Amino acid sequence: MIMSEKCKQHVDSCRFCWMCHHICPIGNATGQERNTARARALGISLVNREAIELEEIMDNIYECCTCGACVHDCTTGWDPVMFTKETRLQAALDGKTPDYIMTLVSNCLETGNAYGKTATCETLTAAIKAHSDKKDTLLFLGVDAKFMACEQANKAIKVLDKAGVDFTVLENEPASGVQLDFLIGAANETKEQMTACAKALGEYKTVVVYDPNDAKAIKQLYKEYGIEVNANVVTYTSFVASLLRDGKLEAKNSGKSVVFQDPYQLSRDLEETEEAREIIKAYAELNELLLNRGETVWAGNILMAQYMPEVIKLVAKRRIFNAKSVGAKAIVTACVSEYVSLKAVAEDVEIISLEDLILG
Amino acid sequence: MQIQMNKFLFAMILTELEDAVGKENCSTRAIDKATHSVDYYWLSRMWADRGERMPEADIIVCPKDATEVSKVLKIANYYKIPVTTWGAGGGSQGGALPVCGGIILDTKRMNQIYEVNTEAMYIECGTGAIYKHIEWAANEVGKATMHYPSSLTCSTVGGFLAHRGIGVCSNKYGKIDDMVLQMEVVLPNGDIIYTSPTPKHAVGPDLNQIFIGSEGTLGIITKAQLRIYDQPEERRFRAFLFQNMDMAFKASKELLQKFKPSVMRLYDEAETASLIKSVVGVERKGAFMNIAYEGVKKMVDVEEEILLETFAKYGAEDLGSEYGEKWWKEKITFFYPGHALDLPKLYGTMDTIAPYGKIEKIYYAMKEAIETKYPFAKFIAHFSHWYEWGAMMYDRFIIEPEFVPEDPVEALKLHQDIWTTGIRAALENGGVVNDHHGVGIKLGRFVREQYGPAMQVLEGIKKDLDPNGIMNPFKLGL
Repeated sequence: MIMSEKCKQHVDSCRFCWMCHHICPIGNATGQERNTARARALGISLVNREAIELEEIMDNIYECCTCGACVHDCTTGWDPVMFTKETRLQAALDGKTPDYIMTLVSNCLETGNAYGKTATCETLTAAIKAHSDKKDTLLFLGVDAKFMACEQANKAIKVLDKAGVDFTVLENEPASGVQLDFLIGAANETKEQMTACAKALGEYKTVVVYDPNDAKAIKQLYKEYGIEVNANVVTYTSFVASLLRDGKLEAKNSGKSVVFQDPYQLSRDLEETEEAREIIKAYAELNELLLNRGETVWAGNILMAQYMPEVIKLVAKRRIFNAKSVGAKAIVTACVSEYVSLKAVAEDVEIISLEDLILG
Repeated sequence: MQIQMNKFLFAMILTELEDAVGKENCSTRAIDKATHSVDYYWLSRMWADRGERMPEADIIVCPKDATEVSKVLKIANYYKIPVTTWGAGGGSQGGALPVCGGIILDTKRMNQIYEVNTEAMYIECGTGAIYKHIEWAANEVGKATMHYPSSLTCSTVGGFLAHRGIGVCSNKYGKIDDMVLQMEVVLPNGDIIYTSPTPKHAVGPDLNQIFIGSEGTLGIITKAQLRIYDQPEERRFRAFLFQNMDMAFKASKELLQKFKPSVMRLYDEAETASLIKSVVGVERKGAFMNIAYEGVKKMVDVEEEILLETFAKYGAEDLGSEYGEKWWKEKITFFYPGHALDLPKLYGTMDTIAPYGKIEKIYYAMKEAIETKYPFAKFIAHFSHWYEWGAMMYDRFIIEPEFVPEDPVEALKLHQDIWTTGIRAALENGGVVNDHHGVGIKLGRFVREQYGPAMQVLEGIKKDLDPNGIMNPFKLGL
């Protein structure tokens, strides 16, 4: 397998290092030794030494959620996410991507989303249509919200309506490219999708990105790939927090006790931790999970649930266990994918989105 | 020596194991076999680094509790298949390597936290839990485990129990074997047993202490109650520089007759000049020592006074609290790639323990034996676990890449030879084979040398509990 020297160095450092063994949300949920950064590095290093075939490790390469907990934990700065994504890219170039992943890739290329969806639900379609006139501000919903959680997408729109924001939602919203980036890394197809998206976003002064996953891509990955966005891109949480600060949203604190599930894309990648807290504190009483902000534990996503649904359930259940361990009865989320994952398994804990909290 | 059986029988056994633990928790995938074939043992790492495949298990099973472990062991016993227990693979002695093939029983699905009991001050958990998770569970209720080894994040509860692990605060809070109340153990025949409800009693020998340190050769520990403690009101650090090791030993022995600090780490001149210089920033000749003392503030004030008075008598230079605090913050940094010893160097840690009067001799004897026979080897040591009667030495040999044979078998031979030289020097001067990393396959050949006729006690227990010899063969010298 062709691999950059930088990646090889990271692989050879991580393959015999156990220090982040405790941190992988997938490994902790499954209890499988292969779901660790060191196991993944060992597998890749054995491929590089021709002691094992690339095909034999690819399933494991796709078991990584790329949440970066291991990267964040590493004192010396090694980056398992980098070599995992590069391996996905190389496998794609070598035609060794597993079939179940290729189905998702094909969907992304044909429909713009990994789920192969072509239409949103009726209420969301109507809400989008009502905001189709071009304004200075664009609300970018993202494919998870649009196609897999339209109720939440609707609520995201309602919150901005409530605050009197004049904004557009695109009827033919382009894909941000974040799903392709997850599936095949920095391939040409990924960059083409990102470039097209950047061009569409450039038509607006301000772009409010609802899904932290898209926000990470647009604010961070685009820069890494040399793709420029000629707009002021802000996260939904920071935008709503500013509306609250400016008095455009009326807040009444219910006194309800909640904890906040930090999306890693905000807290680790974009280093945004306080805006969501500012919103929550206006509407409820905020307590903290032991592992919060940059230390947050990923709670699942919709994309990986397409090919490992049972594992995603275990991941979400484990995070709920964390919440219950500090006495929490309600978890507030700021990421639609985590909302859906937690909601799917929550039994005696309430899962609330930020929009739920605001809209009451 | 993989399991010799035909394809038909293998498939039959696999279905039985899948029935026991669930299909998704039973694997013959190449990645799982490879992952469970390399642990923290230098030889397994070197082997993989040279592009060689280590001996692999035929089947990896991940049971969720003692009932499933019992089913697996009954199947293994019936077909006489070796079973090697795997925690997180962070062991340095090759104890979890499936050298005979067969079954790897990975414990990490047994990671449940069953009870956080703040009345009796323990956490009951599955032994597949990573110890850091137990610490988090304790922290969530304002408590702490006080078990802080460098491998806190790398190793399971079962791994620490299997090898008699120890943390940096051991001087005050004890080793892992001091931290256990009751345990659940699955015997090789599949019976599930419980040790005494408390570790202090007069109902014969303590069953806990038979299974703790047994490295998966006598059964599989599946559940444990681990002590938790109040967070100390105050934790203070003080670093010192001794002119030589002798003065440091005398001062430390005297201090321990007066009170128990939590952390006591004495670095020899060589380690002070290398690791301490690079990580903590002390650039001085001498032997660096870091002390932490903690608990109720009033007590800590008194302990500080005693510490300063005692160490001053032996000419220790008081370096203040800054270096100690830095050491505490960076105590795990030593073990990350970039700071830790790693390939292509050849190295090993020969931890041993002995009473005062002997431990100093062992230090000089091992240093001389290794540096004389292998002039290209560097020998460094620190002393990190102390008792009223003696101390533990964490000594390491390091060989630069240019002296390490490229051929893996030749590298293995050199590694084995150095270990033989070092361990024999320790044993001849009153030490033991190991203090807290265990024996595994690396040191199994020395256990009989240490115990002599006493070995029959261990062998008798082994023979009775595991007559088919399926449990972790060739480990612990059994």
